[in-house]
Amino acid sequence: MAMLFGFGQSADIQIRLSNEDTRKVIKSRGDDGNMHDNFLYYDGESVTGTVQVNLKKANHKFEHQGIRIEFIGQIEVYYDRGNQQDFISLTRELARPGDLTQNAQFPFEFNNVEKPFETYMGTNVKLRYFLRVTVIRRLTDLTKEIDLVVHALSSYPDNDKSIKMEVGIEDCLHIEFEYNKNKYHLQDVIVGKIYFLLVRIKIKYMEIAILKTEIVGSGPNTFKESETVAKFEIMDGAPVRGESIPIRLFLAGYDLAPSMRDVGKKFSVKYFLNLVLIDEEDRRYFKQQEVTLWRKADKVMRRPGSDEAEEELQTSIPGTQKFTAPAPVEHPKPESPRSDPKSGSTSPDDNSDSS
Amino acid sequence: MYDNPGNTTDQEKFLDQSIRVVKTESFEMKRCLDKGKTMDALKHALQMLNEMRTAELSPKFYYRLYMDTMHELQCLEVSLIQEYAQEPAKLGNLYECVQYASAIIPRLYLLVTIGGVFIKCGLGSRKEILKDLVEMCRGVQHPLRGLFLRNYLMQCTRSVLPDLPETEDMLLAHNNTLPKGAPALKPRDGTVEDTIDFVLINFAEMNKLWVRMQHQGPSKEKEKREKDRLELRILVGTNLVRLAQLEALTEEMYVRDVLPSILEQIVSCRDTISQEYLMECVIQVFADDFHLATLNEFLNACGQLQQEVNIKILLIALVDRLALYTNSSIEGQPAPTKMQLFEIFSEQATSLIKNRPDMPMDDIVALHVSLVSLAVKCYPDRLDYADMTFLGLRQVIEEKGITDIEAFGKVGRELTKLLNIPIDEYKNVLRLSELPEYIKVMSYFDYRGQCNIASYMVQNMLEEETILRHQEDVDAAFSLISSLLRDQEKQPDNSHETEEFADEQNLVARLLHLIRADDVDSQFLLLNSARKVLGEGGRHRLRYTLPPIIFELYRLVLQFADMKDEDEKWDAKIRKMFVCAMGTIGALVSTAELAELPMKLYLNVSSFCKQHSMKNFQGAITADRVPFEDNHTVVYEFVSKALSILEDDVVDSRDRVRCLQLTVGTLLKTTHLPEENWQPLANQAVLAAAKMFKKPDQVRSLVTVAALYWHGKTLETNGEKLRNGKKVVDILRKSAKIAKECLEPLVQQQLFIQLLSAYTYYYEDNCPEINVDHIEELISRTQDNAVQLDVSAEADSLEKQLGEAIRRLQLAKLDVAASQVSSARAEPDLPQPPSENEGL
Repeated sequence: MAMLFGFGQSADIQIRLSNEDTRKVIKSRGDDGNMHDNFLYYDGESVTGTVQVNLKKANHKFEHQGIRIEFIGQIEVYYDRGNQQDFISLTRELARPGDLTQNAQFPFEFNNVEKPFETYMGTNVKLRYFLRVTVIRRLTDLTKEIDLVVHALSSYPDNDKSIKMEVGIEDCLHIEFEYNKNKYHLQDVIVGKIYFLLVRIKIKYMEIAILKTEIVGSGPNTFKESETVAKFEIMDGAPVRGESIPIRLFLAGYDLAPSMRDVGKKFSVKYFLNLVLIDEEDRRYFKQQEVTLWRKADKVMRRPGSDEAEEELQTSIPGTQKFTAPAPVEHPKPESPRSDPKSGSTSPDDNSDSS
Repeated sequence: MYDNPGNTTDQEKFLDQSIRVVKTESFEMKRCLDKGKTMDALKHALQMLNEMRTAELSPKFYYRLYMDTMHELQCLEVSLIQEYAQEPAKLGNLYECVQYASAIIPRLYLLVTIGGVFIKCGLGSRKEILKDLVEMCRGVQHPLRGLFLRNYLMQCTRSVLPDLPETEDMLLAHNNTLPKGAPALKPRDGTVEDTIDFVLINFAEMNKLWVRMQHQGPSKEKEKREKDRLELRILVGTNLVRLAQLEALTEEMYVRDVLPSILEQIVSCRDTISQEYLMECVIQVFADDFHLATLNEFLNACGQLQQEVNIKILLIALVDRLALYTNSSIEGQPAPTKMQLFEIFSEQATSLIKNRPDMPMDDIVALHVSLVSLAVKCYPDRLDYADMTFLGLRQVIEEKGITDIEAFGKVGRELTKLLNIPIDEYKNVLRLSELPEYIKVMSYFDYRGQCNIASYMVQNMLEEETILRHQEDVDAAFSLISSLLRDQEKQPDNSHETEEFADEQNLVARLLHLIRADDVDSQFLLLNSARKVLGEGGRHRLRYTLPPIIFELYRLVLQFADMKDEDEKWDAKIRKMFVCAMGTIGALVSTAELAELPMKLYLNVSSFCKQHSMKNFQGAITADRVPFEDNHTVVYEFVSKALSILEDDVVDSRDRVRCLQLTVGTLLKTTHLPEENWQPLANQAVLAAAKMFKKPDQVRSLVTVAALYWHGKTLETNGEKLRNGKKVVDILRKSAKIAKECLEPLVQQQLFIQLLSAYTYYYEDNCPEINVDHIEELISRTQDNAVQLDVSAEADSLEKQLGEAIRRLQLAKLDVAASQVSSARAEPDLPQPPSENEGL
């Protein structure tokens, strides 16, 4: 605009972060719906770099009222666009008001910035971090923003409690299922077992779905949005009483984010494991169970280059994770269907219910 | 099962579609492999494997799809191994990655494939991978898809299952043979026990799936389902085959782990088809000595199978297998092993039968067939084993109240098999008498069945030439075949009219020739007692069974004749033998109501007598001792009896002629009848000839009888012929007279010509009483007759015959004239025929 009005000099702003070559880049979807590469930061990490202001016309005077850079953490609720909440806003002055006659560089530094939340792009809500450089001018300011991605790491003790539950519909279906934990990190594998205690419906298959529920707002203005982010078939065909079916679901295969709770008092993201049995009439019987997903710090390379690491591969290869029940339970032996005279002959009305 | 079986055309269509997808995807997969894009290749493999999820195909068509897919997966495996064998670490977390696939069937097929690649490339723990794979496959509970998936698991891991421990030497030897650059084999973990666990789990799971097929879907398709299941059984059985192929599988492991686990699975599945097939599988695939070591366990399990299971087939298969084995390979084994074998079987079979009241009788008998065969073949010395088995069977039959088992019914056929075993194996029917229960079991047969067994025994005795040497032998044999010897309660009325009856009795007759005692006395006793038993057989049997006795007696007489010097009571004994023979023939006449046969026998005996007396005669000259009174009495008696049969019992005129001829023939052969005995017999013969019913028969018979007086020999003639020409002429004249009375010109002409021949014959033989004029008269009469005959073929031939006869006479005339001239010169005294002949 400044140029339109012929006010002469204009400038191009670039933000360069330190260690751009080595910093991890995360692809994420931007506002425009395209994928962008963004640099990854963790909580407490300093955000440093330089701001470059390149003048478009050399040797012309560029007048400004001051240059500053902000680090902002912001939650934006889509249905309420105007109401953005900055939960973090840090500002650094880069230059006092004055004139630039040549390209200039301004190093900046936000030391040990607290980044309490993980970047999140939801259906109804967005949590983002960005750096914004503002060159203040009399009429219109020049601004430049870049998004940063923040991963919030957490850690939970390994001796997490398993989820174990017996559910069923009377005289129709009784199962007992068990997931080895209730908190999984994003690269984790869910292992478990499903025991069939009673089967009188004609099951076609069984799957585990991962449901993500996003809850935005509070009170009467709560918006709840659920989506199935993963579907994983764990059984084909109809088992009989006494069968136990293994579960092994690798979360790494899906694009998941950690669970979030009451982030900035604005929203929560919850995950559920939904065990679904589908019968031959395509009726679905399901049981949802909330699990917490968390982000674990990337593995530190263990004893890099040592021979021992190779040796260890010999005995255990990734992908064979086994479920070991903490307390072994007595289960009935698999029995032939003959012992269960009613099996496979239940009338459809009996099982139209969902657990 | 499959949701929409459709018809064959639909199935073909579905299959075509699926196979097309498989082809396309596998093509893409291979292209990616060629470019080294493993992950992309796996993605196409998943697409391809998606087809295996189909529910549209019946087992047969699904199998075809499976085969195609498996082939492509093998290509994938080979290609991955080639690429990664050098640097297995590069496989990285492929095992995990393939598990990201969300559909279970493609995921598991791929997992199994990659697992195989890992093991073959030496990456990861073989034991862990195998265990993981077999556990993960539990996710497929659909019978058809599960069975094939697990079969694929077995196929893929077949060559990498831990077996014999890999010793360093083996590895070294292997590695030394490798070309340079090939990855050296590293010792791999896992033992044969791991393999056993692995296969047993897979086996149990597959069996459960297989059994489950039976219970899914509408009940009206039961038959079709059973057919489908039978087509798939081999998939389940493969597990057992793989176990049996393990080189490191020891008997101890088999006894302790393998068999108990298999049996537990088989018994607990409570499915008839499965139990029948798998038990048989176990019998067939595992080694004989394993079976020997686990007999009790196996048989116990048999007892726990479903009622519908055909236990018979199983036990028989096992028994037969072990019988063969014990017989062939453990000759040197200590007896206890062998002994136990039978006892265990016997015990188990008995309890099995007890626990299965519904077991069909034929199966029970068939079971005993195996047991007896085991007992008889493996324990030839332990007759008690065989007897025990027969006893067991008898008790079962008794309990069930079964009698009169039909010879050709289901049960009967098995029973026949059962009873034939000891006959075949012992090759000595007499041993059967040492099995007291044998005959009792036999008695449950109906009449025909008993007879069949009995005649089988007789055949065997004939083939094996089982000699009946002692009274006990005869008694034993007779009691075994008693159904053939006398009328039975169950015998149908018309049984003697059947072909079988005649065959059987002929066999019995042949059997009698096997009676052969060591000496003449005992032989006589044996024959005598046999005769007594046979005598109770009734008229239909006697005609078959008595003649051999008589012939045996004759044989005995001949044999005995030479032993005159050795026995003081020779005369009495030989007489006794004849009396016995006579009595026997008498029985034929009286009881069997036969005529011709006994007559021949009578005459036979006289001809035997003749031979025998000839010998004696010669012996008598040297020893100058024994007169022949006994002898000629016997001959007289026999011939007279024959003649009386001729008179009383032979009815048919043609038979009478023939019988008379026989009698004349026999009389002509006797040489040692005293005149006083000879004359009445000859007279009787002439009378009989004259009494023929038809005139032509009279004529012909008289012509025959005339020979007696010409050629006959008596004691007094001392071996010379009687040559009683007067008598001959008398008889001929008489017959000529009768011939003249004959009214039929053709017949008469025949008779004339015959008479003419007879006259010529005697004339030729220098019978002085023959008057040539007489002959001439006969000729002219005959010639007159000939003219009157109507023209016919017969007349023509008679004309020729007459011509011949006349020419013959002319020649004879010349001969006689010549001889008269010469004899007149040389020997004026012709021997005079005996003059004391009495006229007719």
